[in-house]
Amino acid sequence: MIALFRTLKCLICISLLATSLSVFAEVPTIRVGWTIPAEEAKYWMMKRPEAFPDLNKKYRIEWVQFQGTAPMVQAMLSEALDCSSQAPLSLAQGAVESDLQGYILAQHVSEKPGAFSVYWAVKEDSPIKQITDLKGKTVGVNVYGSGVYGGMATLLKNNGIDPERDIRLVETGFPGSEAALRTGRVDAGVFVQPFATRAEAKGGIRKIFELSDLMPNTVHIIEVCKKSWVDAHPELATYYTRDLVNAMHMALKQREETIKVVSEVTRAPATALEPYLLKANDFAHDPNMRPDFSAIQTMFDMYHALGMLKKPLKVDQFRHDRIVAPLK
Amino acid sequence: MSIKSVMSALVIPRAIWHNASAFLSLGVLLLLWEGLAHYINIDGFPLASEALLQVPVILREREALISIGASLWRMFLGGALALMIAVPVGLTMGRNQRTAQALSPVLTLIYPIPKAALMPIIMLWFGIGDLSKVLVIFVGVSLPLIYHSYHGAQSVDEKLLWSAMAMGMKPVERLFRVVLPSALPEVLLGCRVGLAMALIVMIASEMIARQSGAGELLFNALDMALYTDVYAIIIILAGIGFLLDWVFERIRSRLVHWAEIRQDAVVPRGRA
Repeated sequence: MIALFRTLKCLICISLLATSLSVFAEVPTIRVGWTIPAEEAKYWMMKRPEAFPDLNKKYRIEWVQFQGTAPMVQAMLSEALDCSSQAPLSLAQGAVESDLQGYILAQHVSEKPGAFSVYWAVKEDSPIKQITDLKGKTVGVNVYGSGVYGGMATLLKNNGIDPERDIRLVETGFPGSEAALRTGRVDAGVFVQPFATRAEAKGGIRKIFELSDLMPNTVHIIEVCKKSWVDAHPELATYYTRDLVNAMHMALKQREETIKVVSEVTRAPATALEPYLLKANDFAHDPNMRPDFSAIQTMFDMYHALGMLKKPLKVDQFRHDRIVAPLK
Repeated sequence: MSIKSVMSALVIPRAIWHNASAFLSLGVLLLLWEGLAHYINIDGFPLASEALLQVPVILREREALISIGASLWRMFLGGALALMIAVPVGLTMGRNQRTAQALSPVLTLIYPIPKAALMPIIMLWFGIGDLSKVLVIFVGVSLPLIYHSYHGAQSVDEKLLWSAMAMGMKPVERLFRVVLPSALPEVLLGCRVGLAMALIVMIASEMIARQSGAGELLFNALDMALYTDVYAIIIILAGIGFLLDWVFERIRSRLVHWAEIRQDAVVPRGRA
């Protein structure tokens, strides 16, 4: 027993030593939060680091994956992350509720005319024909209080339906939405890629409204870094933003390779990605990753009008005068 | 025919029956799963056969093996830390009433808290790296270890301790040379409970912030609605749990065979 304890002590000491040695590595490290899906630029940096001359030479990245953007706000507030992917609503709530200060350095995906828009669908044989028919029905949403919910709630309001009283809301998440719709747990389910393509291929569903009915350029995922970190490490923030843009260029130019990269990250088979990834039925990817500050402001105003933000918020507070995509 | 030979003849069929019934129950479960999945026919509930076929596919992937290995390493570290700290604490509590009185309320408060719920707090203090995950595993494993060590130490034969004192042993020496060996069957029982707990907490600790790990595999598959992968990973985790428990049981029975012999000797007499 004593020998066993000694062995355990040795193993723990070795592992702690190994951990502490990594702390002394010379190359500065950026702690970056990410999520799936739709962050192709980050996936490229993760899986093809050799394609980026500065990565692992001038800076390193410690990648940490989260489920959704809201926990990443908490991680940034608790100094556990320097940068992370954010939805405009998560960022806004972090800023209003907890005084999160950050810069929007790049934009991953958004909507634009001709590209994919988050939509709600019903079963083919459903009596629901349009958004106004949803009164008294059960409607699915990814997460209650999410940005997608905000868009849906505004659309419902604009069509005379009170989202709080006139519908029953069910949180299905995006992955579970199709099953919820087909099994009758919801009358209308929410769809994003890749689940939309999968459901469409099976058939039996019909789109009734989409977020582009509200605004044509909804921003879905942006890259946000902590203000204190960017101010203290402007050169690192510059390297990182520049490489993100380079990664987006690579992702868009080399679609076949991007499918492989995304498949490696998400474990989704390439055959599931092929029908939509970086095609017209995918979210819009700006090759320059330039944040659409005007659209983000519109979204902040909408969230405030809905009561999802306690006070109005100006997007300019998240704008860095120099470090923002595209960086030359 | 002697009673001994009749008994040994009975023991073999019993062992065979034991193994056969285990396989039978597993087979029934898989058949039920297969039938139900056919009947329900939704993506979220794949066929048992599909999930089973996906197991070797995942195990052939280098990255998947690295991820599972990373989780097991964190589980080992958390478990080892718990073993080094929780066992002495539990033994001390069992032999020292003041320590027990001081620590019991705290442990009683912590015991029912789902350990995964501690993860956000631990993350705030220790960051989102391996340390937080190891610590949450440590907490999860420590509580059953303390509890069982405490009860094991309480049931130590006082005469043994008197003899040790008479031989001039100091309290710490008595703890490790008399109390620990006597309490070993109970401590190892705590280890077995802790092992299952470690596996549960190991996965839960990767739910919020994920780096390399089995939880990352599982939750990514869920995020992408790859349900066959989800069930296959759960089967792999169940297999790991079964294997660890089996190995541990072999070690435990070797270490405390004397206690089991004593128990075996008692049971037939009781029945008779």
